[in-house]
Order: sequence, then structure tokens, then C-alpha cells
Amino acid sequence: MGDISVEGLTYTYPNVVEPALNGINLQIKSGEFILLTGPSGCGKTTFCRCLNGLVPHFYNGKLEGTVTVDGLVTRDHPTYELAKHVGLIFQNPDNQIFSLTVEKDIAFGLENLGVARGKMVKEIDWAVDRVGISPLRERGTHELSGGQKQRLTIASVLAMHPGIIVMDEPTAYLDPVGAERIFNILHTLNKEQGITVILIEHRMDLAVKYCNRIIVFDKGRVVNDGTPRAIFTADETRLIGVGIPRMVELGRRLRQNGLKIDIPLDSNEAFQSIATCLDEPQPAKTKAAFTDLDNVVGEYSHSPLIQLRDITYTYYTGVEALKGVNLDISRGEYVAIMGENGAGKTTMVKHFNGLLRPRSGSVVVDGQDVAKQSVAAMARKVGLVFQNPDDQLFAEDVEEEISFALRNFGYRDEVIKERVNWALNLLDIERYKKSSPFTLSGGERKRVALASVLAWDPDVLILDEPTVGQDYGQKERLKHFLLQLRTQGKTVVIVTHDVEFVAESQPRIILMAQGKIVADGTAKSIMTDAKNLETCSVAPPEVTKLFSMLSKYGFPEDVLDVDEGIDLITRRTKGRTPQ
Amino acid sequence: MSLLEGLRFTRGDSPLHNMDPRVKFLMTMVLFTLSILFLDLIPLLVVFVLQIPIVAYGKIWREWLKSLKGGTFLAVIIFATNLLSFYFFRGMTISGDIVEYSLSLTLRFLSLITSFSLFFLTTSPDKLSLALEKARVPYEFNFAFITAIRFVPVLADEAQTIMDAQRSRGLELDKGGFLSRIRKYIPILLPLIINSIRRSLELAEAMESRAFGATKDRTNLYELKMTPSDYVALIVIILAMIVALYARFYLTPFPKIIGGVLFA
Repeated sequence: MGDISVEGLTYTYPNVVEPALNGINLQIKSGEFILLTGPSGCGKTTFCRCLNGLVPHFYNGKLEGTVTVDGLVTRDHPTYELAKHVGLIFQNPDNQIFSLTVEKDIAFGLENLGVARGKMVKEIDWAVDRVGISPLRERGTHELSGGQKQRLTIASVLAMHPGIIVMDEPTAYLDPVGAERIFNILHTLNKEQGITVILIEHRMDLAVKYCNRIIVFDKGRVVNDGTPRAIFTADETRLIGVGIPRMVELGRRLRQNGLKIDIPLDSNEAFQSIATCLDEPQPAKTKAAFTDLDNVVGEYSHSPLIQLRDITYTYYTGVEALKGVNLDISRGEYVAIMGENGAGKTTMVKHFNGLLRPRSGSVVVDGQDVAKQSVAAMARKVGLVFQNPDDQLFAEDVEEEISFALRNFGYRDEVIKERVNWALNLLDIERYKKSSPFTLSGGERKRVALASVLAWDPDVLILDEPTVGQDYGQKERLKHFLLQLRTQGKTVVIVTHDVEFVAESQPRIILMAQGKIVADGTAKSIMTDAKNLETCSVAPPEVTKLFSMLSKYGFPEDVLDVDEGIDLITRRTKGRTPQ
Repeated sequence: MSLLEGLRFTRGDSPLHNMDPRVKFLMTMVLFTLSILFLDLIPLLVVFVLQIPIVAYGKIWREWLKSLKGGTFLAVIIFATNLLSFYFFRGMTISGDIVEYSLSLTLRFLSLITSFSLFFLTTSPDKLSLALEKARVPYEFNFAFITAIRFVPVLADEAQTIMDAQRSRGLELDKGGFLSRIRKYIPILLPLIINSIRRSLELAEAMESRAFGATKDRTNLYELKMTPSDYVALIVIILAMIVALYARFYLTPFPKIIGGVLFA
């Protein structure tokens, strides 16, 4: 159970010229924990579809070579037969939960296989226990949180006892703590049940410590395959633009600087090896690494742009999403709103342009009471970009898509033309001007959605989960773009789970939990505030974890950036060799 | 919408919730038929009042009142249109008969709401689908039914998000003439349709991955079994039906409550 053999696999989707997979040879042994990575569109999702026969049975197209799973050639066995061997789990849990209650959904696969009722109940008992959702057994599936839904999808395939579990970006929509929990479940299944795990993941920093092999895809080919340490220090990996875990990067650069340490995968390993190069523990001289620039500058704080006063909001379902929120955001600020799923982050930003009206309290934007304005009037000042571009794209071509808002606002034709071109340029998508937005890739669609809001040049830009589903390169571009907007004096607010992204761009952070603001401050102060981070299900970035351990050696705690960390360690250890 | 809101199943534990869905469906159909069968106020009052202990039996007071509340507006319209049309077509007078007749039509409507509430508020769609399965409805229909119910809240959320996204781009749905308002729904409908197509593809993939169609002899986690109390309920329902039919055809005409000319 759990073996996969891939020989000469080349696959082309119907009506497409370029093959999605090109000459792949792989041997996967039972019990391995494999991370698949590579830039968007590199073929990793297609590869997963080959493992349970969705390719070619469901997708048709042209398949060459053979894929053998547990001795079964996928070409000759239908997907429902392979489903007993390979449990394939997709990104969006909502689109793979079919039933109204948890236990019934877990039963779905077993019912399809015709398993007897008594045995079915036993399998469900076992599966809910493995993923820790026993108390939720009789719940309605629509009541579950994102993380619970994702655990349910694992239980549902687990009940069929596959030797292999394949997950395509399971943590895309989860907060860091929820993501960690999913990885832990997979880790336990791998260790205790010997299940082969194949995972597609962009969150390298979190995932790397669980896997023992990484396979890198690019343009439909396997370009690298080996242990995490070997892969992340190889030049090929860097060239493709796969995200390197921050701790590996730190270790590698410290070695270049002459420090003789092993390449660490996470903060614990990094601490172990760095500590051997340091003197005895000594008390910290200062808590802070450098003076906080934000505190020194502070010039924006005189002109508040967005003011929330005691706002509460209750959805018609009775869910109290906001319970008395007070917030001031000044002109030109860069703010990140973080917190667990369901903390009220999106509900709060929907008040900024009047989409939601508070049940009590007031929202003032640029001196105007939002309650007295139409959404359209507020939207001219406050541009809100939603998480999923597919929830807004509708036009025939990209140009029309971007001009939609401008027409709504009644701009003249020549102004519209000018603005559309400006936005297309800004986001580097001019070449798609006449393409249908639906034919573009996920990352490109996201940029079109962003351009369609930027086009009217709002004073405030709000981005809901801008990094979800974006690969390393796309995130880097976004980070630079946001900094660029900031230098133009725009107020930028992002709602995100991506700690690494936040740590590297260092905005003011607002932590939310259960409809309230729990903490509000500079990135450095918030990321070292362990107690509040925990309340909000946010884990600090690996670098910060490392420095909180190193603080007993006299290092400052509040280091968020890899470069800063390397600098500090190198200065301390210059000219030393490990004992 | 609140009328439909009142019909949504909420989990609960009562003898009514645990009743076999087939028996319960028969009960609802009998109540439905009785409400349609009678035209007079007295028997309709009896039918309506008889449902109240069943509501209590199912512990669904709150939900039932909610659906009645949702139906109030329609009930008032039914009452008013009947009253007015009689007033205008029957010589500009309002007699007790007319008021009584309008009242009975309104009460019939409330009775219908109650009978459906009794069923839908206490029957989980899973049980309903199981009953359909027992009735040898092909599994594909059953699956489509469950999937439809499962995705109603998902689609509603999505529609709301799309509406929010387009309003954030300056779309004003409540402005302009009739035609231009309809045109304004295109930016909302298109993403909704395209997302649904994409979703159905993903659903199909996920179904395949969970061995959909592996065997003709599909099993079911749940099981339907008639308990002694279900048989008792069945007998009571049939007796009630017989009594009511007897009353309808042999005890007519029923006496009136309100009589005489009230207003001319």
C-alpha cells in the first residue's frame, strides 16, 4: 500500500497544444511525506489528478507513459476503484462536502462503495477520531469553520482507508494556527498509519519541517527532487523562483558569512546550531533591535482618515460579528488586519465604504459620516478589492472590466481611456487588454481585479487576502507594489493570514478576535506579543521565533526580517569558530 | 423570504422529529387536503386548532410563530382582496357572510403554512432523502436534491459577496429606470453563473475521487424503521381523515358564526 510509480508520463489537456506534464519519471515509496512545489501553472495540480485517474478518465486528453498506484495502472482502472488507494483532497473544502451533516459526509465514499452499515459506523468512528472532530460528528456541515471543514475532508477520504493522501493547497484559506493543525494531522497519519502524503503547498515556512522529500515542478517537468535541505540550497530551485523557507535562507547566508552551522529547516533547528557558536547566555541589553521608525516619524497621525467609534454589527443569522470596535487609521498609513477565521476582519473593512452599516456606533471617512453617503459615493474614496477575483470579473475583455467602475462613476470617455491604460501599465497587464478575463491564470485575474479598482485612484485601498493562492514570485511583486503605493501617499489596508508577508513589509498590525480588536501597534511590538498572538490564532514568523529563543544570549527579541537577523548574528559571531 | 426562512429545518429532539418521515409526510398531506377540502370557518378553525398540539409535540413553537409571522403579510392581502372584491361585486355591502368567507380563506392559508411547517421544520433533508430512496426514487435525483439544499447557503453567500464586490466598484442597483436596472444585474449574474459552472466541475471531480458510482448497490448510513409509535400515529392520521371526510360530506352545511349585514 502507498507505492506510486510514474514512467514517461506526458499529458496534454484536450484542445491544448502545450503538454501540461512532460516526460515525468518518479518513484514514490510507501510512507514518504512529499511536498510538491513550483510556480503557478507548473503542472503540479495536473500531476495530482493523474494519481487517482481523474486524468485521463475525467479530463480525457492525451496521456502517454504509465502511472501505477499500488500495482494498478491508472489508465486501466476507473477513478472509483483508484479512490480506495488514493484520497485526493482539493483546495476549496466547500466544493467537496456533499452532505448536510459531518458523519453523513464521511459516509459518502463508503456508501458509494456499498460498505455495510455496521462497518461504516466503525470506520466513521475511527476517522473522526484520527482528525480530532469527534465532537462535531452530528453537526451540520454549513456550521463548520474553514479549518473544521478542511479536517472533515481529510476524515472523509481517510474513512476509505487509502494508502496515499494527496492534498492540493489545503491551507490556502486558513489562519496560521489552523494550517499548522492540518499539517500535524497529516504528520500523524504519515507516522502512525504509514500513509504516503503528497502535499502541494506555498507556505514553505510552515510545511517544510514535516516533509522528507521535495519535488520541484516547472513547466510540466520535474526539475529537482530530493531532501528539503538539498532542494532549498540548490541553485535550480532559486532560479525558478520557488519560495525558500526563511530559516534555510538564514542558515545558508550565515554559512556564506563564515559561520559553520548546519542548514536549519525551522527556528528550533536554527537555534540549536546557532547557539553552539555563541558564548554563555547573557541578559538582553535592549529589547528592541532598532528604534522603531514609525514611532519617530509619526507625522501622519495628525490627519485621521478612517474613524470607527464603538461599532457593532450583527448578521441576520444572529452572529455578532463586531462587538464594539474603535479604530483610527491615518492618511498614508499601511495597516494589516490579522486574526483567526471569523474574527470579524472582513466585516470590519466592509464598513469602510458603507457596504455594511453598523448597528450602533459611527464610521467617519475623510470627515464624512458614512451612514449619510451611498456606497458608490464612498467607493470613490475607498477602493475594496475582494479575495476572489472570480466574484467580480464579468466583462468581455480586460479593458472593459477595468473601465466598469469608471463608467459607473460617470467619467468622460477620454478620461476613462487614459485611466484604463494607466492601470494596465501599473500592473503590467497591457498585453491582455483585449483578452477575456476568464482565460487568464489565477494570478493574472487577481491583478485585473486589482487594476479595476486602482483605475479610479481611490485614496484608500483595501485588499482582502491578497496573497491567497499566489506563488512566491507573485507575492514578491505584490509586496513591492504595495510599497510603491505607499510612497505615493496612499492609505493601504490589507486583511491577511500571511505572517511572513506581513513580517517583511512591516505595516501597523491590528489583531482581531471574536469581533473585537485585541491589539494594535507596530509590526515589531505585535509580533513579539506572544499572548495576544495566541488569542488571535496568529503564529509569529520563524525568524521572530528564533530570536525569542536567542534573547537569552543577549539578542533583541523583535526581529522580523531575515536580513536584519543575519546582520545581528554575523556581527556577534565574527571571527569565531564553533567549539 | 422570511416565509421560506420559517420552513428551514432546525435540528431538535422531539417525538415529531423522530417520527418516520413517511408517516409524517402522510400527516402533512392529510392536513393539507383537509385545509383545501373545507370552505367554512368552523371546520377550518378545528383543523387549525388541532395542529397546535402537534406543534407543541414537536417543540417548534418559535419556528412556527416565525413562519406565521412571515405569512402575515400575505394573509392580510388574502383577507383584504377577498373582502374588497366581494364588496365591489356584490352590491357595495359587507355582510357577515363575506367577512366569514374571507376569514376562512385566510385561515386556510395559515393552516397550509402550519401543515408544511410541521413537516419541513422537523424533518432533516437526510431523512427526507432516505424516504425518497425507500420510495425507489433513483439515487441521482436524491443526490441532486441533497446537493441543492447543501448549496443554497453557499450560493446565497456567494451572491452577497459578488453584489458587495460590484457595489464597491460603484454599481448602483436601485438607480435608473426599469430596463437599466435589469441591465445592472448582469455584472452580478455573470460571475454567479460562471462560478457555478466552475463549482460544478470541481464537485464532479470530488465526487469521482470519492468513488461515486462504484456500485449499483449503494448503502446508506441511516436506516428507516417504523416504530410502534409510528404505527399508532399512522392509525390516528387515517382515523382523523375518515372522520373529516364524513363531516365534510354528511354534516354540511356548517353553521355560520357571523351573520347579518354589517355594513352597507
